Amino acid sequence: MFLQIKNLTKKYDKVEAVKNISFSAKEKEIICILGPSGCGKTTILQSIGGFIKIDEGEIILDGKNIEGLEPEEREIATVFQSYGLFPHKSVIENIIYGLKFRKYKKKDAIAEGKKMLEVLNLRGYENKRVTELSGGEQQRVALGRALIVKPKLLLLDEPFSNLDTNLRANMRKELLRIRDHFNITMLFVTHDQEDAFSIADRIIVMNKGKIEQIDTARNIYLKPKTEFVLNFIGSANVDRGYFVRPEAIRVSENGEEATIIDKTFKGAFIEYIIDYKGSKYKMLRLNNEEEFEIGSKIKIEMEMREL
Amino acid sequence: MGIRKKTINTMDSVVQIRERKKLLDLTNAILKVFAALLVLVFVLYPFLAVFGKALYRDGQINLSEFLFLKDEFYLLKNSILSATLTALFSTIFALSISLMTFFVTERQKKIIMFILLLTMVSPPFIGSLTYIELFGRNGFITRDILKLSINPYGLWGIVSVQTLGFTSLNAVLMIGYLESFDHTMIESAKSLKATTTSILLDIIIPLMKPAIAVCFLLSFIRSMADFSTPMIIGGAFNTLATESYLSIIAKGNSPRASAMSVILFIPSLIVFIVYSHFLKEQQRASKNLRETQARMKKRGLYYLVLALALFFILWLIIQYVAIFSSAITDKYKGEVYFTLQNIKDTIPHIRDSFVRSIIYSLIAGFFASLIGLVLSFYSYILKSKFIRVIDFISNMPYIVPGTFFGLGYVFAFNEEPLKLTGTVIIVILNLIFRQIPMSLRAIQSSMTQIEKATLNSAKDLGAHNLFILRDMVLPMSYPGLFLSFTNAFISSMTTIGSIIFLVYPSRKLATFVLFDLVSSGKYKVASVLSCVIIIVCLSVSLLSHRIFNRSSKYVSTN
Repeated sequence: MFLQIKNLTKKYDKVEAVKNISFSAKEKEIICILGPSGCGKTTILQSIGGFIKIDEGEIILDGKNIEGLEPEEREIATVFQSYGLFPHKSVIENIIYGLKFRKYKKKDAIAEGKKMLEVLNLRGYENKRVTELSGGEQQRVALGRALIVKPKLLLLDEPFSNLDTNLRANMRKELLRIRDHFNITMLFVTHDQEDAFSIADRIIVMNKGKIEQIDTARNIYLKPKTEFVLNFIGSANVDRGYFVRPEAIRVSENGEEATIIDKTFKGAFIEYIIDYKGSKYKMLRLNNEEEFEIGSKIKIEMEMREL
Repeated sequence: MGIRKKTINTMDSVVQIRERKKLLDLTNAILKVFAALLVLVFVLYPFLAVFGKALYRDGQINLSEFLFLKDEFYLLKNSILSATLTALFSTIFALSISLMTFFVTERQKKIIMFILLLTMVSPPFIGSLTYIELFGRNGFITRDILKLSINPYGLWGIVSVQTLGFTSLNAVLMIGYLESFDHTMIESAKSLKATTTSILLDIIIPLMKPAIAVCFLLSFIRSMADFSTPMIIGGAFNTLATESYLSIIAKGNSPRASAMSVILFIPSLIVFIVYSHFLKEQQRASKNLRETQARMKKRGLYYLVLALALFFILWLIIQYVAIFSSAITDKYKGEVYFTLQNIKDTIPHIRDSFVRSIIYSLIAGFFASLIGLVLSFYSYILKSKFIRVIDFISNMPYIVPGTFFGLGYVFAFNEEPLKLTGTVIIVILNLIFRQIPMSLRAIQSSMTQIEKATLNSAKDLGAHNLFILRDMVLPMSYPGLFLSFTNAFISSMTTIGSIIFLVYPSRKLATFVLFDLVSSGKYKVASVLSCVIIIVCLSVSLLSHRIFNRSSKYVSTN
């Protein structure tokens, strides 16, 4: 395995922020740590980056135990949530700053920086101040600044949290494109399920300092291992250890009887609350499907899965 | 106002409410105009009076008083020379101390802040006093330890004493500036393999430029305006400030003193403009605070920073050890022994003046905060354009040197109907209005916490502006008011420049007694008095810290 985290524990004043965390990543894989705020995901990122000292555990990158090394000694680059750009330096100066510590001549560094700007679609931005850039552009500069030093692992802390919804979608695509160009292993943390689903090869769902599940997006959604994962990722109807997603409830002639109690128009789909065998269930249907009125009786079919 | 009343007799209550509103509106208008008048009379008028004295004679503009710029050019040259050196050293030391906060633990940082606070609550000549005792002709270090007999007076004496005195405020300002820093910049740089030296030189110091500029300029004007240090240890080295002071005290030549004060005012004005700009920068910079403190390796440039900071802190500690030990020891045939005699000797000197100082300072602190609250309410909360202009004017005492402000009072209030010279009132008024700028800052910074929606809700429920002031703004501004009171109290306890021309000789304040004691060479008694002032101010300051747990960002200068 390219990156291995073994039994990582970090305490703040005796409170365990993360306890006994283990996971690994293959080379060129994109791993996402997903969880609510305070679940310990940022602590893991900072531990790997070397910004905080861990209490127990090992961090192995490309066969080398890097636990105990300073951030500058690890072949890891980090893109912070607030980007951490140097506001008094121009775009190109920001991008090539790391090359200064890798014995590049100024001329070569600038040439490298310009190449990077091409890849980032930021040609012509060399001498702009970073404070003049939009959020998305700042993010790309932060990415370029981290990638130019050819790290073995790229860490991203809530990469899209400062961007609005449309820009987010674009930046996700941009990030994937840039990653394909550099073929780099990435680990990012987010609390946004859509970020995780659209980018990650595998997702680590965390809660209260512990890992709940590590799997692909599909499996996490369809085969959640715990109730936390089930509820954190989308919504679900739960009944005595069994669950069914609202969109998995189908209307069918062969089904059993249920009554519509309430409905809400949600845009692309309509959300119904139905009474089925004395319990309330949430059901989702696309808005171009047959619509039901409150009080009407329908027949439904569903398959409850075991948690 | 009763809801019940409304339901019992609607007609009656409508009339009552209307009457009441009229009364409230009137009170509101009177309060507003009164506050504005106070500022115009006790800030703007004295300010203009100095210019009048310097520029007008017999109803005509007369620039002859400015001839000293040509004839006694050395005065200006000396002032600029000593101010530049002081500003340079006190900025470098302050920078080192503030950078050390990246390398020390929270606990060590608290100790540093405490030592810095100590100098900010000390009376102004304490530096001169210890300098003489340690490095003077009979100085403990120069004579007793190094067996030297050197002349410590002159330019370098002034520069070292002022540097020691001014560095602390600079350091506190810079530390405050660094606290608003986005630490992820440093972490990013580290993850790019930047060395400590590079992080300091490429990122932190360039970003601190506005703070560095302000501290340099602030020290520059404080040095230009300081007359007491050159008086005590300048020897033959005369500056504009001392000459301006002597022109009044010894020669009674007020036009000359005014002209010199006007010249001293120019750099202050520049600083004020830069400072306002810097405040804006700081507000822009303060975002995204992280809990993790950025650590840097103790390498490279760190050692220089450490050396400078340690040197300065040690120097400060020596100063305070010297003053405290000097207060409780004496020498007999070269032997140092413990004694309480100094303290006994001090009692007759301070019996009246000390109590007077405390009373004046309490009054000044109270009224400066009260006026500050009213002005802030109209300018900051209600955004009255008229009071905003007044607010700006009331900031003037912050810009002008203390002696300038004092001279203004002498010229403005020595004739009927506002003949106040020689009274207690003029001293207290001067103390109050000198502190208003700091009060405004403290109060308005706590007012930023008040949400507009809260006030709008009160208005929506029918509360008159005066009730909003009393029921909402006042209680929500308590932290700011308290800070304002503390600062004004400490400043008034330790100030001398602005009131030196106003205090009647028989009604001296503690700082005046101290000044006399130092000037006449009674160093032992002076040490005791210094200690007493420090202890009082420190207790007040620590008490207020404990109560409101606020940073000492706004602790004012002398």
